[in-house]
Amino acid sequence: MNSKGSALDKYLGLLNGPQTMGRGLPFWLGFLAIVAALALGPEFLSRYQIINFSNFLISGFMALSLCLIWGYCGVLSLGQAAFFGVGGYAYGVVAINLLNAHGNTDIAFIAGIIIPVVFAAIVGGIMFYARLRGVYIAILMLVISLVIGTFMRQTADPDYTIGAAYLGGMNGLRPDSPDDPLLPSLIFGFGQTIQEFDGRSVSFYYLTLGLLVAVYLGLRCLVNSSYGYFLVGCREDPERTETFGYDVRRIQLSVFCISAAIAGLAGTLYTAWGTYIHPDGFGVAQNILVVIWVAVGGRKDLSAALIGALVLEWVSLRLASEGEYALLVMGAILVSVMLLAPTGVVTTISDVIERLRTNRAQAEGAKAPEIRKP
Amino acid sequence: MEEFALIFGYIYQYLDNIGFLILAASGLIIIFGMMGVINMAHGELMMIGAYITAFTYYAGVPAPIAILLAGVGAGIAGIILERLVIRFFYKQLLSSLVVTWGLSLMFSQGFLLIFGPSILNIPTPFGNFPIDEQTFGIYRLVLFGISMAMIAGVWAVFTFTRFGTHARATMEDPEMADALGVNTRHVYALTFGLGSALGGIAGGMFALTATISPFFGINYTPLAFITVVVGGGANVITGLLASVLALAGSQTLVNNLVNVYVGYLGMMGTALIILLVLPRGISEYLERRKIRTERASGRE
Repeated sequence: MNSKGSALDKYLGLLNGPQTMGRGLPFWLGFLAIVAALALGPEFLSRYQIINFSNFLISGFMALSLCLIWGYCGVLSLGQAAFFGVGGYAYGVVAINLLNAHGNTDIAFIAGIIIPVVFAAIVGGIMFYARLRGVYIAILMLVISLVIGTFMRQTADPDYTIGAAYLGGMNGLRPDSPDDPLLPSLIFGFGQTIQEFDGRSVSFYYLTLGLLVAVYLGLRCLVNSSYGYFLVGCREDPERTETFGYDVRRIQLSVFCISAAIAGLAGTLYTAWGTYIHPDGFGVAQNILVVIWVAVGGRKDLSAALIGALVLEWVSLRLASEGEYALLVMGAILVSVMLLAPTGVVTTISDVIERLRTNRAQAEGAKAPEIRKP
Repeated sequence: MEEFALIFGYIYQYLDNIGFLILAASGLIIIFGMMGVINMAHGELMMIGAYITAFTYYAGVPAPIAILLAGVGAGIAGIILERLVIRFFYKQLLSSLVVTWGLSLMFSQGFLLIFGPSILNIPTPFGNFPIDEQTFGIYRLVLFGISMAMIAGVWAVFTFTRFGTHARATMEDPEMADALGVNTRHVYALTFGLGSALGGIAGGMFALTATISPFFGINYTPLAFITVVVGGGANVITGLLASVLALAGSQTLVNNLVNVYVGYLGMMGTALIILLVLPRGISEYLERRKIRTERASGRE
């Protein structure tokens, strides 16, 4: 390995590593094309469509967060929306309380990520260190999400206030003053510079897109690093990983917290996007949709899960305009994919393409596919 | 007399909660406890039972027969599901969890499309009896009695009948059972169907006390699971009884001390603590203790 620019090489290598599908020039050209198309979206999409696309991108964070723990580490959580909702409520509560004093929502944004992590550390710490079986963790997370939702539903009583924020029961979180019924949108401030990202604006769309690309690339590096190998080790054979001297529980807990941070970010962005957060954010539909996106796209690959979320969200929106059967169709898609392509649609298609390419390469008598040096 | 009413009130609530949990979990102890399939659509099978009960009841069928029809309907639905979907997911816990959750979404959303979000009600039969100044519904005690009868019935079926022996053999070692001439495909389908039928009957029984809507199921699935999981798989029936006694006990207690929501939380908390101490459920612990005491007495 040459010493010059080795750090850059290292990170580029991580982006291209073996734990993620899609390597080499064609994939990255396609990736750039998609990002460019999304970035050019505001040029030829209506304002309403851009608002919807912002929401699709937010779903992408949820898919990535579940893909990381379920696909890579083998820890399925049916209650991923718990972190989404906690993040959303945390952002809202802090923003309402600090906006007037600070003039920005920097701390609220951070709180929307950190508080779900703390929550995940407590819940996950108990579950993983007690060595609860995987299925129990999955169901327990769903129960936790539903229990929080039930609690939030019965907070209509005016006593349920946190500072200036009123939890508001079924009406959703809002400030405890009659003149300003909405939650603050994202306002970043650095010294004198203040930048507001109104959820209905193009700037919010670019912010979300930028964050999503950053999280996606960051996770690619993470899962291709040695940490990613630990994750896959925990998924494939926890006993063996433990025998090699790694603390499976600690790896599971840490990845659970990272996943909670991403889901919390999604909840924060969602709350800022609609200036609205509601107990239904903890509900069954919210939880199951994340599982559907990831399972249908392909749980063992970040790109597949992300594509699954974006495509299915778009499909749901189209269906929603024609009647109330979007969720029914989503359920049917999930069941059919689990039966016909259990590894996920995107993963299956990519496997087929890969096989065709190798077959052709072999048929032409070309040299065997290049083996990447470590 | 006042104290008697108070104490009776607690016992009544305790029995009510026990009956509720046993009915909710009775189908799942077969499907999850024996077959090892996580059926997230169990609540929806109960919902099917509740709808069948409601429609046949309003068509003029007497309630007990309507409830039996609910069992038949849910059982048939269960057998169809097993043949079409579930059988591809044996021994894949997480995948069966996900696919059955998809089924549950399809059922609840499908019923929402067909029957709309409106709520159905069936009057609760048998009336009340007063003690001191409080009144107690007789039907709740009937529920408790039937839940006990159902447990006894499940035990009897799996202990004494030919089908029960075949089913236990198949769950223990499918290949060996197959080699010995058991039609394991039928056994799997029928066992799943039986579990679904029990769910349907439970749904029908609850239909007489609860409101029926397309989202009926979600109230029961997690509870039923937790009850079965806390009971453990070593001996599903003693496990279920022990788990129900503990969970219903904590729920009744906290319910009276604080409120219904915290009572629910208390039950979940108790379940979590039991699972943290005994990760494989209560029955596993009881079985091990039994073996230990048997060994100890054998040595003397």
